[in-house]
Amino acid sequence: MMRVVILARRELLSLFVSPVAWTITFVFLLVMGVTFHLSLLSVDGDLKQLVAATYSGLVFWFMMLMLPPLISMRSVAEEKRSGSLEMLITTGISDTQVVVGKWLSTWCFFLFLWVCLLPLWSLLTTVGQVDGGVLMSAHLGVALIGAGFCASGILASTLTSHPLASAGLATAINLVLFLVHWLSFLYQPGDLQLRWVEHFSAVHHIRDELTRGIVDLRVIIWWSSFTFLMLFIATKVLERRRW
Amino acid sequence: MIEVDSLSRSYGTRKALDSISFQVPSGSVTGFLGPNGAGKTTTLRVLTSWLLPDPGTLRVTVDGIDLLRQPQRACRRVGALLEMLPLPGELRVIEFLSARARLKGVPAAKLLSEVQRVLEEVDASEASRRIIDTLSQGYRQRIGLADALLGDPPVLLLDEPTRGLDPRQISLFRGLIDRLRGHHTIVLSSHVLGEVEQICDRVCMISAGKVCLDEDRKAWTQRLESAGTIRVELAETHPDVESQLSSIEGVREVRSDGAGWIVSADRDVCHLIGDLARQQNWVLSQLRTDPATLESLFLQLTGPGEAS
Repeated sequence: MMRVVILARRELLSLFVSPVAWTITFVFLLVMGVTFHLSLLSVDGDLKQLVAATYSGLVFWFMMLMLPPLISMRSVAEEKRSGSLEMLITTGISDTQVVVGKWLSTWCFFLFLWVCLLPLWSLLTTVGQVDGGVLMSAHLGVALIGAGFCASGILASTLTSHPLASAGLATAINLVLFLVHWLSFLYQPGDLQLRWVEHFSAVHHIRDELTRGIVDLRVIIWWSSFTFLMLFIATKVLERRRW
Repeated sequence: MIEVDSLSRSYGTRKALDSISFQVPSGSVTGFLGPNGAGKTTTLRVLTSWLLPDPGTLRVTVDGIDLLRQPQRACRRVGALLEMLPLPGELRVIEFLSARARLKGVPAAKLLSEVQRVLEEVDASEASRRIIDTLSQGYRQRIGLADALLGDPPVLLLDEPTRGLDPRQISLFRGLIDRLRGHHTIVLSSHVLGEVEQICDRVCMISAGKVCLDEDRKAWTQRLESAGTIRVELAETHPDVESQLSSIEGVREVRSDGAGWIVSADRDVCHLIGDLARQQNWVLSQLRTDPATLESLFLQLTGPGEAS
């Protein structure tokens, strides 16, 4: 566990000493700031709807789908290409620790971006009618789905030596979990097949549950399992080089 | 100590290592030689647990730890300097080495002193605050060497350690190896054969995935002495020189290169050639011993056209 934390810290250090992290942070805060402002206008003074309005729109989903692949695309792919992965393995760290350490640093940076928005939300919670509970459940959803999307980014990064190919592959995996929601239009309310779609739909989990203050244990289990599965496959892919 | 018994490794259908066996005694410096594509890097990659050996490999131990059963534990006993040295250019030297030291299990309390120690060992203390991207090739190589020394591992695997170093730094490197000799088991893979000849106690040479020489300094020195040649040149032309030289006891082969004769013998026959010259009234313009070098032995054992 200690090696995982040390590796994650080193990864974060490498990220923050380069301009990449600061550029992503700047663009994220700019875009989300504008979205926040537009959401404020759209709810027409009803601040209770603000969380749902902000965290259901296309800009929010664009950030959710694109940020994890962009952050994670270099993590393993670049190291494989440059040969530094071999150097890392010579320290005696296991493949599992490498994968978990890389994922942890990616997820921490992803969370850092959303934590940057908290002062805005705190202000509105203090002076307005924003529901603190809804805000917390929505951010729990961001963290859970973000963990899964970061894990798929790490898996994609282990599959290729080209960062851009990794980002494309991870985005494709994430898009499947995003677009599966639109299958629900094929069914009527009450259909059993609709329940199946809802179990996997990131959109359903955020829009219909977490931004309304509903925390379903099944949602937590699904995204935790998805994250675990992605990291498990990534470890196996990384181990394949030894054979 | 490193023990390798019947190590094989294939890439698809191509056999990179074909059941090789060798030992590196504790505290020794062993030169690991071979042409490009012979399997040196593959062997080093197995010893760092980057690659698994093929089934059928009997034994690979590093400092007494079975690499096949406990790869991570064995790997922590090894400090490796890789041929391709990918350092994170955006970090400072001290940041990079501190993170590596933590990954190698150096306690947090000893971190800075350990980093300073290895930087002093490789004569790179003044570069500790510099960003790696701004370092010269020589400095990068020394930082890689410092990384291999972190945590004081009992086994050091050094792949082309003097690449990019200037003559002064190469001399410092030799001094460093002399200091480490005895305390560390060192495997030095290099194409600079003169360097290997000067530094190493043993030589292990592989060619086409097989060990073709595994000898200590005494054995290989004897081999070089017996493989030496004698050059004979006469001031005037005489008939039948080649057959008369061939008749000397101990002479294996005599060949002419136009200007003179090259005599290969099992032992030193210079004085016998001198005696023969006196008997035949030859005026010798040159009688010179050309000792064999590790390079000539390398070329002889690995054969032509090995590179791939």
